[in-house]
Amino acid sequence: MVSPTQAQTQARTIARPAQRRQPRATSRRLRVTATQLTAAVGVTLVTLLILIAVFAPFIAPYDPAERVGRPFSPPSAEHALGTNDIGHDILSELIFGARISLAVGLTAGLITVVIGTTVGLLAGYFPRLGSILMRFTDVVLVLPFLPLLIILAAYLGRSLMNTVLIIGLLIWASTARLIRSQVMVISSQDFVLAARSLGATHRHIIIRHVLPQVMLLSIGEFVQVVGQAILLEASLSFLGLGDPLQKSWGTVLYWAQVRGAFLSPAWAWWVLPPGLLIGLATLGFALIGFTLEQRFNPRLRQR
Amino acid sequence: MTNARHGKQLLQYGLVLLIAITLNFALPRLMPGNPLALIAGVDVGLLTPEERAEIRDRVGLDQPLHQQYLTYLGDVLTGDFGYSYRQKQPITEMIMARLPWTLLLTLSALAVSALVGIILGAIAAWRRASRLDMVLLNGMIVLDSLPSFWLGMLFIAIFAVQLGWFPSQGAVTPASGYQGIAYAVDVMRHAALPVLTLSLLSIPRVFLTMRYSMCSVLGAEFIRTARAKGISDWRILVRHMIPNAMLPVVTVLALRFGFAFGGTVVIETVFSYPGLGRLIFEAVSGRDYPVMQAAFLLFTAAVLLSNLLADWLYPRLDPRARAA
Repeated sequence: MVSPTQAQTQARTIARPAQRRQPRATSRRLRVTATQLTAAVGVTLVTLLILIAVFAPFIAPYDPAERVGRPFSPPSAEHALGTNDIGHDILSELIFGARISLAVGLTAGLITVVIGTTVGLLAGYFPRLGSILMRFTDVVLVLPFLPLLIILAAYLGRSLMNTVLIIGLLIWASTARLIRSQVMVISSQDFVLAARSLGATHRHIIIRHVLPQVMLLSIGEFVQVVGQAILLEASLSFLGLGDPLQKSWGTVLYWAQVRGAFLSPAWAWWVLPPGLLIGLATLGFALIGFTLEQRFNPRLRQR
Repeated sequence: MTNARHGKQLLQYGLVLLIAITLNFALPRLMPGNPLALIAGVDVGLLTPEERAEIRDRVGLDQPLHQQYLTYLGDVLTGDFGYSYRQKQPITEMIMARLPWTLLLTLSALAVSALVGIILGAIAAWRRASRLDMVLLNGMIVLDSLPSFWLGMLFIAIFAVQLGWFPSQGAVTPASGYQGIAYAVDVMRHAALPVLTLSLLSIPRVFLTMRYSMCSVLGAEFIRTARAKGISDWRILVRHMIPNAMLPVVTVLALRFGFAFGGTVVIETVFSYPGLGRLIFEAVSGRDYPVMQAAFLLFTAAVLLSNLLADWLYPRLDPRARAA
């Protein structure tokens, strides 16, 4: 029952307590700086990648969809990372690819968190509806993730919209569970009963009292899910199921694989850089999410 | 009490299987286009009239939907996955030829990640907050962020092509005529890199679980008692801490089996390894829908089995879970 996102949350939960069980003053000070460092690294990575994506047309030396050199050229003064099988500049492909990979990650993450938070709010606030919703959530959690993703992508066709929708619709379950457990704690508190007896509607209580309290948790979830979504998009594109017209980092790897770049010296400039970018993006979001979760997840705080 | 819980759990898994089967049934019929082509996985023009009539008849396309659904459900539950009109062979046969290879990869990878994850996790917890612990912890978090298929490609470039230590693709050397031990060595050499890649996918999770679990055991009363009795550090570690800390790890491992099974899709693709994951990839690129669907059901079954295993194993390992 471990989906990637759920497992990652679990991993964070797991990584935390040991670090705080430090009696000596020096190590406590060390821990604070370590947390700040973690956050700083994450923020730097993500900011840098977003800047590259936004200013892609100004940074990239060439149009990524234009034949600008001899195919399969090694790195040179004109092409820092060489060219691919049809003479596109790989560096420019990667710079513009940041737009696609980040856009898919952010949109899919947004969909995931909206669904997860809504389901979590309803399930946590209305116990009877909640048990039905959670049954459904568990089904989504158990379905084999990557194969299902592939099947859906194969049937629905290769487009950016489909990639975003499929990822967003499949990975919300662990977020829903987390939000639900938090909502259950909040809605059992006295002030909810007080508000009810003053005549407040359920809708009013959920939106005005409960939602604001889980909002920060949702934001933390969002950041973590974005990293996962970027990794998933890369896997899908790598299998040739991405949008053929919108080249992401995963698409670059797909072509490198199809053309056997990893069997030649070309792996160093055609395979290594896109994977590093995917890894850095995922890591950046994961680190920020980790820091946010430590701050906003009450479960981790009280432990 | 526990029986009721188990019953509920089984019901849940049954529901998941039913949903997977229903998805398989519904997708080709919901998509725009000729359902016959989507069910057969080839253009209708490529089918002989007999084949067309046969599919229509077997699937019952002229019957009402609920009738078709029951026919499909019956076929799947009796293990009849149909026929690949593209490959011209029964799908069950194709799957049976691929399954052993995927099991070989998945189970070996599970063993490796268990061994490495547990040992490193125990060491990190034992020396927690030391430099070693920090290096391991951060290393695992970084490892968890890297795309596994990319690692596979790098391993091929470095260990297969540059250094020539391992073959770069396939499960055996074609037409080698190897027998006995030579054959086994050949299989192992081919499996080495895919298993390494697949293991790296699970090691961080096992490590983090083990480390956390060890850390909570470290503070337990019985450890203090053991220390007070003057038992050596090593003995405490091996006899008291590791067995107790292993419990959550076992659950994670059982669940990772299903996860690793799914992970073979990208990894077998990178290594051109003739397993189920590669089968799904080939079916997707060749639009061989019936094969894709059958493989998907098998993956679902694998995940469900690993969940069942975890449910069954846990109370047997932990008497406290039995009492509850």
